[in-house]
Amino acid sequence: MATHQVHRSGLTMPVVTRRFVDHAWRRGCDFINLDLEDSVPQHLKAHARSLIKDAIPVVRKGGAEAFTRINHDYVHADLDAIVWPGLSKVNYPKAETAEEIRLLDVVITRLERERGIRPGTVEIGANIETATGVAAAYDIASASPRIKEFGGGTGYDMSRDLGVEMFVGFEQFAYGKGELELAARVLGLQVRAAPFVANTTGSVSDADRALREAQAARKCGFRLGGGLNPAVVEPQNRGFTPTAEEVEDARWVLERHRELAGTGETWIAIDGRVIDRYEAARARDTLEWAALCAERDREKSDAVFRTRAAMAEPAVTLGDP
Amino acid sequence: MAILVRRSNLLAPITDTERINQASRNDADAITLDLEDGVVETHKVEARGLVKEAIALAGRGGAEVFVRVNAALLHSDLDASVWPGVRGIMLPRVESAAEVAQAVEQMTVLERRRGLAAGALELILLLESARGVWDIRSIITASPRITQVGLDESDLACDLGITPLPEYDPYVYARGRLVIEATAAKVQPIGITYPLGVYERRLSAAEIHRMATDARNLGMKGVLCPDPSWVAPVNAAFTPTADLVAHNKRVREVFAEAVAAGTAAVPLDGRMIDVPVDEWAKVVLAMAEACDDRDARKRAARAAGS
Repeated sequence: MATHQVHRSGLTMPVVTRRFVDHAWRRGCDFINLDLEDSVPQHLKAHARSLIKDAIPVVRKGGAEAFTRINHDYVHADLDAIVWPGLSKVNYPKAETAEEIRLLDVVITRLERERGIRPGTVEIGANIETATGVAAAYDIASASPRIKEFGGGTGYDMSRDLGVEMFVGFEQFAYGKGELELAARVLGLQVRAAPFVANTTGSVSDADRALREAQAARKCGFRLGGGLNPAVVEPQNRGFTPTAEEVEDARWVLERHRELAGTGETWIAIDGRVIDRYEAARARDTLEWAALCAERDREKSDAVFRTRAAMAEPAVTLGDP
Repeated sequence: MAILVRRSNLLAPITDTERINQASRNDADAITLDLEDGVVETHKVEARGLVKEAIALAGRGGAEVFVRVNAALLHSDLDASVWPGVRGIMLPRVESAAEVAQAVEQMTVLERRRGLAAGALELILLLESARGVWDIRSIITASPRITQVGLDESDLACDLGITPLPEYDPYVYARGRLVIEATAAKVQPIGITYPLGVYERRLSAAEIHRMATDARNLGMKGVLCPDPSWVAPVNAAFTPTADLVAHNKRVREVFAEAVAAGTAAVPLDGRMIDVPVDEWAKVVLAMAEACDDRDARKRAARAAGS
């Protein structure tokens, strides 16, 4: 497994706001999502497109992957402007049909060939933000092998489509989330989802809640984060990474399970806790994920170190503003 | 596109003369004359004879008038229900697109015969079985006449063979599927939150208002009201409040200023305002206006009738 699958934290930012883009590498994100869509005014769309090629290496200076969110209605112009070496993923908003995804795949495949990018490099993120998208979940998720992560079914666009206020304090999207997760699991994709954590403020910079949400999401088998404010990056990185105690516990479980070999027993209860092959598989998964997170953190630290050295900046802790 | 404002739909058993006479005073957006569960078996024939006059009575306050027919007596009930002044038919126990097609075929004939505009009659569908919930997509796309769809949660419990407990909502999936599939098909999902759809208890207006508000925040667009006491709190719950209108006007202003300054992402009270937030503000403001219009037309109808 490669560390490009570690997407615990990320910031979506309007590519036209230069100070966000210039400082993005300092934030400690696993990815940066350069936005051409809802944070860019209509009259600046063409200008925004022209900025992506140069912004990609800028936001990667801290080791983050570079993504771009394109406009649902400007697929050709947007893709032509953004598919360059260094881009990892195209996020496609308001996905509603498999045909849309197949078209993206065809265009990206051509651009990869024309621009010397290894075939299949650029992933597609199909954002499900409407009832129609939920109703077509499996068709969309299975429309291209470039889709590696799948989910959604919540957020501002979904709420507008359903005609509901957000932040009302109860789970409003259970069915859509369930449908999307099921489609993703069936197809072996990473699930972009989170369990319901009451949020009545709608704040985008609440670090405590970001940590609680990330921890709860990880316990439910979800590993994908992202946000709009730098304050949530570090809590997401921390909340999605197994703690030292969890890693130690996973090693203990595997050790006890290994001791079963040759005893003729398939499980053992220790202090009321059952150790069997399911628990062992879970422990192995925790250790693999912890190792990927650690490797990803090293990559980012190294990148930040190199960038600071090149700029002759004093070294400070990753994630400082 | 005009917004369909049908927040409250008051059920009135056709044989309940008092309820029918008073129904137009309750400020409901719609009144449904019930030939089905509100009428005992032995009175079904007599009930049909009452529909034509009741349509005029119920419509006096500006409410849209519907008739709920019996699925098992579809032909006779439709024949008794299609008269000038009726907005549409509520079709219960729907399990297939074929059943919708059958009703539509007869409605089309009756429209011609009774002097209604072709295609004028709408359909409100009620799903009351696992089969209906499962096949919702083919059912609600079977005719452009379908404007609303809901679950009959009492009858659904019967079909599922469950005795629902008030503290445990068995319809999270069914209600979620209704909202998603209806919204995708541009049909309005209707209903109220659990357990009010099953236990039609006498509740305070405040409690009904809270449960109707929760229903709106699940995506419902209106509520079938079994009792006149539901109408006022339901109307209020589905009408944007003055605070909400003021807030969304501010969102639009702040967003417009941000766009003029070169960004479509701007913080407001700790939240992030971007395109979908501005789009939603437009929806809320348009909804508030549409509700005002609807209420004004009902007031005018009542004034003309008194």
